Amino acid sequence: MMTCLEFRRRVGAEPFASDPGIEAHRRECPACARHQDDLRAMDGVIRRALAVDPPSRTASPVAAPAGATRRRLFAIAASLVVGAAVGVVLLVSAPRDSIAREVVGHVAHEPGAVDSTVPLAPVALAQVLDPDGTRLRPGIGEITFAARCTFDGHVVPHLVVQTPQGPVTVLMLRHRAIDEPLRIDEQGYRGIVLPAPKGAIAIVGSGITDIDAVAQTVFDAVDWGG
Amino acid sequence: MNRGDYDTDRRRRFGTLCESLRPDLLRFAWWLGRDRGLAEDVVQESLLRAWKSFDSLEDEGKAKSWLLTIVRRELARSFEKKRPELTDIDSLVAAESAVLAAPEDERVEEMRNAIFRLDEEYREPLVLQVLLGYSTQEIADLMGMQQGAVLTRLFRARARLRQQLGLQPEGES
Repeated sequence: MMTCLEFRRRVGAEPFASDPGIEAHRRECPACARHQDDLRAMDGVIRRALAVDPPSRTASPVAAPAGATRRRLFAIAASLVVGAAVGVVLLVSAPRDSIAREVVGHVAHEPGAVDSTVPLAPVALAQVLDPDGTRLRPGIGEITFAARCTFDGHVVPHLVVQTPQGPVTVLMLRHRAIDEPLRIDEQGYRGIVLPAPKGAIAIVGSGITDIDAVAQTVFDAVDWGG
Repeated sequence: MNRGDYDTDRRRRFGTLCESLRPDLLRFAWWLGRDRGLAEDVVQESLLRAWKSFDSLEDEGKAKSWLLTIVRRELARSFEKKRPELTDIDSLVAAESAVLAAPEDERVEEMRNAIFRLDEEYREPLVLQVLLGYSTQEIADLMGMQQGAVLTRLFRARARLRQQLGLQPEGES
C-alpha cells in the first residue's frame, strides 16, 4: 500500500499520474486526494504561464546581445544559400495554415493530455472555463484534463472529455469564426470544427468511430455564456 | 520521383514541420535561455542545422524530439561561445518583463515570474513536461538522465514554485 509520503512525492512529480496504487490511495486518503487536485490545478496555471507568446524582438523590442545580431545575420545569409523557399519558411513562418492543421498540431503536441482517466476536480475545471464565462451542462462526460492554452495567439480552453468511444480533445475557439463545419482527418486524428454561438469549437479524437455523434453531445453540452 | 519533385516534397515537408513546431521551439529556447534575442537566434540556427540534416530524420513523427535536441545543443554552444552578459536574476526579469507580463491573469504572471526564477535544472524538465507534454521517460532520454532523477527534479520544481508563491511545500526531503 502506498504511503502518504510516497503518494505526494509521486504526484508532486506527475500530478496527472494515474495507476491502481494512486487511485487506491486517493480513495482512502481525502487529504492526499485534495493535494493531488491542488497540484493539478496548479499545473493548469503553470501551463498557462509557460505558454508565452513566441518571443519576438519585433513585437517587444529589447536590446539584444551584439553577438546575437551577428549570428542572426549569418543565419539569414545561410538561409539564402539553402534556398529562398526554405528561407521564407524559417524567417516568417507562423501557424496561419488551415485550422485543421493547427488543431491537430496542438493536440499532437500534448499527447499526455489524453492519458489521465481521473475526473478533474470542479475547481480546476472552473479555473479554465470561468475567465470566458463558459459553463458545461450535465451529460458531456467526465472531464479528465483542462487547461488554458495558447492557440493561434489566443488563450483558449483545452479540455479532454471521456466519451463512450474514448477520449476526445475539445478546443473552444471563441476568436475563430467559421461559416460551416470543417472535418479533420490528419495524422491519425479525426474530428470536426463546428461553428459555435461564439466562434468555433473543435472536437478531435483518435480511434473514434462516430465523431459526429460525439461532437453533437459535446456541442450541446457547452453553454457559451451571455 | 525525379530530383525536382523530391526537392519540392522535401521543402514542403520541412516547411510543415517548421510551421507547426517553431512556436514551441521558441518557447522552449526562451524558457531555457531567458532571452528573446538568444531564443530567436538559437531556433534560427537550429532550423538551419535541421534542414541540412533533414534526410537523417527517419521518422517525422519524432521530429519534435529531434528538433528539441538540436535546440538544446545549439543553446549549449551559445553559452560556450559567449557567457550571457546579464547574470543577475532581477536584471533578467526586468529585461524580459514584456514576455513575463500576463495581463489576463495576475496568478499566471506570478507563476511565470516564479518559473523564470527557477534554476535551470528544475525549469527545463518542467517546461518539457507541462508545456511540451513529454513523459518523464522521454525527458530522461532527451536530457540524458535516469527517469528517477527527472522525477526528483520535477517534484522539487513544483515544491520550489509552491514555496515561491507562499504555498506550503509538500514532503520535500
